[in-house]
Amino acid sequence: MDPLSLIRGVLDTTEDAARALVGRERLRLAVTGLSRAGKTVFLTSLIANLVAAGRGARTLPALDEAVGGRIRRVQVVPAGTETVPRFDPEAHLGALAADPPHWPERTEDFSTLSIAIDVERRTSLGGLLPDRRVTLDLLDYPGEWLLDLPMLRQDYASWSAATLTRLRRGARAEVARDFLAFIDALPGDAAAEDALAKRGYTLYRDALRACRDEHGLRFLQPGRFLNPGPRGEAPLLWFFPLPEGARGGLASLCARRYAAYLDDQRSNFLDPFFTRFHRQVVLVDVLGALHAGQEAFEDTAEALAAVAAVVSGGNWLERLLGAAPTRVAFAATKADHVPSRARDSLAALVEHIALGARGRAEAGGAATSFHALAAIRCTEDAVATLEGQAFAAVRGILLNEGRGATIYPGEVPMRPPEPAFWQSGFFRMPEFRPPRLDPAGASGVPHLGMDGLLAWLLGDAL
Amino acid sequence: MSAAPPPRVILEEPASAAQRLDFGWEVAVAPAAPIDRGWSSLGLAGLGLAVLLLGFSLLEAGNFVAAQFSQAAWLGWVTLAVAAAGFGLVFAAVGREMRGYLALGKVDAVRAAHARGDVVALRGALQDWQARLPEGRARAAGLADMPIDAACALVEATTLAPIARDAEALGRAAAIQAFAMTAVSPSPGLDVLVFSWRGIRLVRQVAALHGLRPGIAGTVALLRRVAMDAATVAATDVAVEAMLRGVLSSRIAEHVAGETAAGAVAARRMILLARAADEACRVLPRG
Repeated sequence: MDPLSLIRGVLDTTEDAARALVGRERLRLAVTGLSRAGKTVFLTSLIANLVAAGRGARTLPALDEAVGGRIRRVQVVPAGTETVPRFDPEAHLGALAADPPHWPERTEDFSTLSIAIDVERRTSLGGLLPDRRVTLDLLDYPGEWLLDLPMLRQDYASWSAATLTRLRRGARAEVARDFLAFIDALPGDAAAEDALAKRGYTLYRDALRACRDEHGLRFLQPGRFLNPGPRGEAPLLWFFPLPEGARGGLASLCARRYAAYLDDQRSNFLDPFFTRFHRQVVLVDVLGALHAGQEAFEDTAEALAAVAAVVSGGNWLERLLGAAPTRVAFAATKADHVPSRARDSLAALVEHIALGARGRAEAGGAATSFHALAAIRCTEDAVATLEGQAFAAVRGILLNEGRGATIYPGEVPMRPPEPAFWQSGFFRMPEFRPPRLDPAGASGVPHLGMDGLLAWLLGDAL
Repeated sequence: MSAAPPPRVILEEPASAAQRLDFGWEVAVAPAAPIDRGWSSLGLAGLGLAVLLLGFSLLEAGNFVAAQFSQAAWLGWVTLAVAAAGFGLVFAAVGREMRGYLALGKVDAVRAAHARGDVVALRGALQDWQARLPEGRARAAGLADMPIDAACALVEATTLAPIARDAEALGRAAAIQAFAMTAVSPSPGLDVLVFSWRGIRLVRQVAALHGLRPGIAGTVALLRRVAMDAATVAATDVAVEAMLRGVLSSRIAEHVAGETAAGAVAARRMILLARAADEACRVLPRG
């Protein structure tokens, strides 16, 4: 921790203490999740259901029970920062409730929002004292960028070596064939030509995209290659991993841009938002990883562990300053894609897939728990008859066709599956239409397990 | 155990568009209706007593008027006029009390609509409340045509913030008087009496700024609310003071504080009271 961060940490800790003294706590909740894990929908559901709960609706019964029914009001308040776009839950909810409905597009920029939760005090004189106000700071961002966090602890040479090792094995080697052929053909002392740098970048970026879209892989770096954000593909991104032997001008150019890229991501994304938070929820699309095959499943686990090593594992000084999260919840999203009896297996499986990440969080002094949830429930339980046998399944309305369909999601194992399991091949879960929703969200949105997660994550702070 | 079949999608027939799922969520999560406890025994007894008093006095008056008419017509008319004037004044006073008391209930209704997020009720209630404000008070225009959060923000900026400033000014004026009274008053007992009278007057003045004209019952109800809000204001005040003491603890600061403390406490209570009264009467919660 550099001296400047230390001073900032001390100031932030003092501010937290002062806020607690006057009953105006601020709680930063980091919602982390790899791309397509469902962060935007999670935040939309969280806000809609919390605000509805503040109006007396029983949208989050487990949370209500955990805080003894003391939630008085919940309202959206201006976020502390004005330079970042405002997360727009109304627009997301409107799109989900529209006919035909739309799920949020891939998140391409940050957005932030704060919600103020007024709660009656816990003491016996709570009714006479003023309500406490806990402000929950939330942030939405492209999940791809999260994988830039582990890069902060690597220099260009070690990042290149690790990335190329991964790229030369399994499904990656196949889709990165052109890129690998390009770097293998480059002379070790290639000059610092921008045209070469751009060509290498383009091939590498296309390989990353194919890994993500065709094979469901998640450990793909750097994040802005897949999701360049509002600033587009600037020359800053024109670099790529080079083999160990490369020593020429091109290698220096790539190393320089690698360092500049990390500086840019650090100052614009990581330092302002990921250096200090109190609670963390890690969203994992376990079912998607399971359906994408063994390599995608293991890749997701590796990516989660790499991110957790930076995000959840605060050192002793950060813990002392309250900069490390005290509670980290791991949640398997899209739990409505499996029948209710398989949801416990999903929660157990997330425990296994997040084993590395959990170790990091617990080593950092945080309590961990595992959940299966659906931020917006889109299916109902059904029975599918396959080969003369009845299997528990789910029924939903397909997003594009608007046609009803019963989906048998396959077996959901409680632990990482045996090799024989993977023989059934890649399965792409269809997208479902959200159920009928009130566009104003006055009654929140139907969900599965959001209340249990929030009760564990926030219950003690309210 | 036989291996489970691979995942699959079974499309429904016919291929026409199906209805979106409906989990009946709005009904499932609807807030529990508050338990209507009805009238308390004390309330019933009080109402009965009031009916007896009023009913029998009306009957008695009617009988007396009839008896006067039987003696002489002019005597009957004069008695009737006296009875009508007397009861009219009593009813007018009761009506005024009721209006003052119910106006406080309207404040609660606006706040409840705001908490529920009931846009239609809130918009209507804000417009009604603005119409009841005293002459000369700036009002937010065009509330019907703007999003409700913008309407609330506009009411806060145009009307509630100036009212809060005026309440603060009233509080300061009362504070100066309280300060002066504690300085010249011959006995502490008189202090308390004068201070209480000035406090009640201040609360009523602040209520008037918000368009409330509480009578006796309204004032009692208002004082109860102010007492609750004063706890809020005072608790924040205590916390801030504790922090300030922590930051500014020095011999000089303590000496200065000690010299002015005696008179300042009474004055400061008036300012706090004005803020608490403003808090109790405002239709929108402070953001």
